[in-house]
Amino acid sequence: MTTQDKKFEEQEVALSRRDFLGLLGKGAVCAGALVGAGSAVALSETQGSKHAFQQNDEQYAEAVNDPPKIPDYNWNDHQWAMGVDTTRCIGCLRCMEACKMENSVQMDANHYRTWVERYVYLEGSNTAIVDTQTDPKNIENTGSETKFRFDNRYRNAKVDKAFFVAKLCNQCEHPSCVQVCPTGATFKSKDGPVLIDTTYCIGCQYCVQACPYGARSFNQSRGTAEKCNWCYHRITKGLNPVCVEVCPTGSRIFGDRNDPESPISLFIRNNHVQVLKPEMGNAPNVFYIGLDKEVV
Amino acid sequence: MPKHIVRLLGLVTVIAIVAFSAKYFLIPDSFYQYGHYRGNAVAEIASKVPKLQGSASCESCHKAVYAEWTAGIHRKATRNNAIQGVVYKSGPGCEVCHTGPAGNHPSKEAMPLSIEDRVTTITHSEHKVHPANVPARKLLLSPEDMRSVCLNCHEKLEARPIFQRQIEVASHSGEEFCTKCHNPHSPRIIYASLPQVRRGDPQAGKAVAAVCSGCHGVAGMSTSPTFPNLAGQHADFLVDALKAFKSGVRKNDMMSPMAAGLNEADIRNVAAYFSRFSCGVTGGDKAKALLGKVKAANCAACHSAGGLYGSGAPGVSGIPTWPNLAGQNAEYLSNTLKSFQDGSRNHPVMTSIAKNLSDADIDNLSAYYASMKCK
Repeated sequence: MTTQDKKFEEQEVALSRRDFLGLLGKGAVCAGALVGAGSAVALSETQGSKHAFQQNDEQYAEAVNDPPKIPDYNWNDHQWAMGVDTTRCIGCLRCMEACKMENSVQMDANHYRTWVERYVYLEGSNTAIVDTQTDPKNIENTGSETKFRFDNRYRNAKVDKAFFVAKLCNQCEHPSCVQVCPTGATFKSKDGPVLIDTTYCIGCQYCVQACPYGARSFNQSRGTAEKCNWCYHRITKGLNPVCVEVCPTGSRIFGDRNDPESPISLFIRNNHVQVLKPEMGNAPNVFYIGLDKEVV
Repeated sequence: MPKHIVRLLGLVTVIAIVAFSAKYFLIPDSFYQYGHYRGNAVAEIASKVPKLQGSASCESCHKAVYAEWTAGIHRKATRNNAIQGVVYKSGPGCEVCHTGPAGNHPSKEAMPLSIEDRVTTITHSEHKVHPANVPARKLLLSPEDMRSVCLNCHEKLEARPIFQRQIEVASHSGEEFCTKCHNPHSPRIIYASLPQVRRGDPQAGKAVAAVCSGCHGVAGMSTSPTFPNLAGQHADFLVDALKAFKSGVRKNDMMSPMAAGLNEADIRNVAAYFSRFSCGVTGGDKAKALLGKVKAANCAACHSAGGLYGSGAPGVSGIPTWPNLAGQNAEYLSNTLKSFQDGSRNHPVMTSIAKNLSDADIDNLSAYYASMKCK
């Protein structure tokens, strides 16, 4: 750099490098504070009241004063939740077949709204072998694309412990899928379930990627996302979701948390319940008992 | 202002007008009503028609079956005390086994399908398109289907909890259908309430029995250890055995021609005649009998008075169509098991069980049952 150049710099540049970096630092602190404050406000909004996810005060007031016109049903009176007692699940997959019937899910083994996982620890092993109805051996065992069953592959194996875990959409308080939906086709309803408006779904499958529980799939025949909605058309008519209805052992429990004597309220009150992946911060509404260390 | 700028501004204005009017007309009123979604969608989703209607909806037409189910263990399979404070619903209802009825039942007109039903289904493997209204499934189950439905819940799997009733198919039933012994609507077998078959007349049977006594003895205790004792045997089992000989299902050089000459009434009468005698104990090798007692645990499910779940007198069958073994000739018993092994006699359950027995097992078991009291 020549002397002349240095002079030129001192004259023309009002902002020195030192000042610029300083300003940048201050700016970052301010921006951080702003974002922090904003998220704190958002958090207090969702925690302090019964606002649904991403619902502002005006929309909340509308939801309370002018609820959706569903006959004999007001979504302000209910807060639905589900419990799964894994110690009672026998892996019969009746829930899955009934769900497919009720909700017209594609009938092959790879499309489902609810499913059951089998965890098997062989003797001397510290990790579980997991399979579901999509396992090729299980599909072969049923001999049909539309029936589902676990095969008896561990009949002669030395099994240390084994159990079934039923899974479904967790209808989270802070649903990742709703956050990413570009068209407003999926949303958190005020009474709990996360619903899909199939007329607005463009089939981009961003929500399928976003769900930490793998609860969403893509329905090729409809061209829209597919997920459990706790049979919203049934619970708004006073019926149980169909998986709860057909569970032969009472492994699934469903009810209204606003009613302290409902099965789910009793289930949560009288048992030590867990949720799946609490570290994700989604705040699931499906409560489990009997989960094992490897169940995620 | 230069002309090209004016044109540009004009273009921008037009685009803005189009965009705002499109937003105004295309976004439905209910969008943003409750949040970033169409508010009307909630009621639309809720308006779908439920397909599975619950067990109560079956009662109006299927009264008899519904009553069976209500009284049976499938209705009562609850464990209210399983988890403190939680009242479990009842056991498996109608739609657990007859899944998907309401949609296509009794007619599409009576129970309209939802819009979603009209879409077709694509399966991955062959990418074939199923016809619309996918849940068209048989509601009345064939025995084969029924077996598979029962095993859905009752086949022994490692991961199933202990409280669930489970069977090893090979040793429980072999190839036999579940419905042979169980009523699927009320599957627990209550022996006292089993229907009584038409009883034969022992007096009339006496005349027929004259030809039998040469081998099976006048009072049903046979003249040779290779022939079975008939005294005190279940009449129903004897009827089944004679019918099997007559129809050729069972073959024996002596018995087949004998049975061929008997009519239905003769068979009932002679069976009643022999079943009335009191049975004796033929006895067996005591050392072998002790060994056989251990092995007999596998037989007790059918050949003991308690039946499948209880304990009862060993060798006295709980169901009258299954033979009593107690006090039977050891040699006859071992010959019979061997005939199941080599296939000269066939039975869905016994064949598979006999094939898992060694010669020593057979000797021990025969000695054990021969030395049991038959009452």
